[in-house]
Amino acid sequence: MKKGRRTHQGARNQQSSFERQRLAWQAHHRQTARDALHRLKQRPIGTAMTLMAIAVALVLPAALWLLLGSAQVLDRNLSDTAQLTVYMTPSASDADASSLLERVRARDDVSSVTLVTPEQGLEQFQKTLGLGDALSGLDKNPLPAALIVKPVTQTPEAVSALSLALKQMPKVDEAQVDMQWLERLKQLSTLGQRVVLSFGALFALGVILIVGNTIRLSVENRREEIEVITLIGATHAFVRRPFLYSGAWLGLGGGIASLILLAAGMAWLSAPLTALAESYGGQWAVPSLGFEGSLFLLIVSTLLGWLGAFIAVGRHLSHMTPK
Amino acid sequence: MIAFEHVGKRYGGRFEALADVNFRLSRGEMVFLTGHSGAGKSSVLKLLTCLERPSRGRIVVAGHDLGRLGNAQIPFYRRQLGVVFQNHQLLFDRSVFENVALPLSIQGFTADEVARRVRAALDKVGLLHREKALPIELSGGEQQRIGIARAVVHKPALLLADEPTGNLDPQLSADIMRLFEDFNRIGTTVLIASHDLALIARLKHRVLRLREGRLVGDEGMGS
Repeated sequence: MKKGRRTHQGARNQQSSFERQRLAWQAHHRQTARDALHRLKQRPIGTAMTLMAIAVALVLPAALWLLLGSAQVLDRNLSDTAQLTVYMTPSASDADASSLLERVRARDDVSSVTLVTPEQGLEQFQKTLGLGDALSGLDKNPLPAALIVKPVTQTPEAVSALSLALKQMPKVDEAQVDMQWLERLKQLSTLGQRVVLSFGALFALGVILIVGNTIRLSVENRREEIEVITLIGATHAFVRRPFLYSGAWLGLGGGIASLILLAAGMAWLSAPLTALAESYGGQWAVPSLGFEGSLFLLIVSTLLGWLGAFIAVGRHLSHMTPK
Repeated sequence: MIAFEHVGKRYGGRFEALADVNFRLSRGEMVFLTGHSGAGKSSVLKLLTCLERPSRGRIVVAGHDLGRLGNAQIPFYRRQLGVVFQNHQLLFDRSVFENVALPLSIQGFTADEVARRVRAALDKVGLLHREKALPIELSGGEQQRIGIARAVVHKPALLLADEPTGNLDPQLSADIMRLFEDFNRIGTTVLIASHDLALIARLKHRVLRLREGRLVGDEGMGS
């Protein structure tokens, strides 16, 4: 029984010693993170320059991404308004027009269709061109009846298939859809995405290099300390830890600075861009990363800083294995 | 505690720093390692601290075959040692207390345990009242005693010292050696590399003599 109690107590001691170890480990992490921040504050100018370099490297791809995002919104709006104009032959009568209207309306791939009679067409023509009475001099309305057709599916393939089918119908002269610029816009948007991605990758590498170089210098400055603590039993993880925290702090700080730069830049651009959009009759909201986007940027920049530091210290540590 | 069996160390394939060195240290012994500079003293210490690996032969310390120790195990092996450096290698941007606490924080001791052990170690070297000082404010002898406190704070079984009295005057050197003898008396195995022959002769401990990488003398065994 006595033995049993002792074993029990031993187990409890062991557990509490494990718990103590965990607490000590947490305290050590907190301390290391604080120390790393403190060291960065001790060199304000160097730190500020590193932060600005990171911020600049992050702002460029982020701004591109934002602009691309608003271009895609624009693109989607335009796609939604994709429509075909079906011009009937000049000989077509009103009865022909209404029978075509019924046939087109009955199609599954058409969401809506409106008839524009030659008279309405002429009226619109006069209004939009501002020609006024100039056209009233004509003795005969030169415009054919037309159908404005909205397809159900907005993809370029579906739209062109529909246009082909409509063209086959009787008394139809022409089915027009400006597919080319729609496709070009899509291709441009794909190109834009790739450009942003490759810029993003390049500038991410830039952040890693900036942080890596800064950390490499501080490793050089603390070379003696690293040698001493390694000789008294510090693991590589222990040696690395303060530098990883420095790298993560730099990444986080750079990320915050880049968010500020980005917000300032977008605010500065918003007035002329909105005015430009309005002059085209469009609406344009100032793009912003939003909460999730900002959080994502901060996480990425922190990880990049951490990674840069990891690489820089790793290079140093690899020279320290015994030969 | 320590066994060197036919140990050789070459640098760059040509220069032979150690050749066929054999010796054994029992637990609780205090031994001096002497020889001119270049005789191989620091090579022996570098091998013992796993800063280098032997080119030939086998080194066993406290049951660890150092040649077979993986890189990841080395830190944990080193935690069983206490190392005193010639130039004490204190970190000048930290207080005396923090310097002595270093091995404990590496090993993940809690703050109160660290404080208790650091004060005990500082007390042993007689510098408890200087715990808040910076190393730069201390004299050479005091700095070396802080170095020793740091080496023993985690109660290592083996204490290694590389020229611990190298920069000190004879009186201070004798004080430092007495400190090592104190630790030896409570069971710590002590190996001191030194070329202070006069001092060593007075202390009457076992002496290993190296010359050109060979062990040429092993005197005073079982003193």
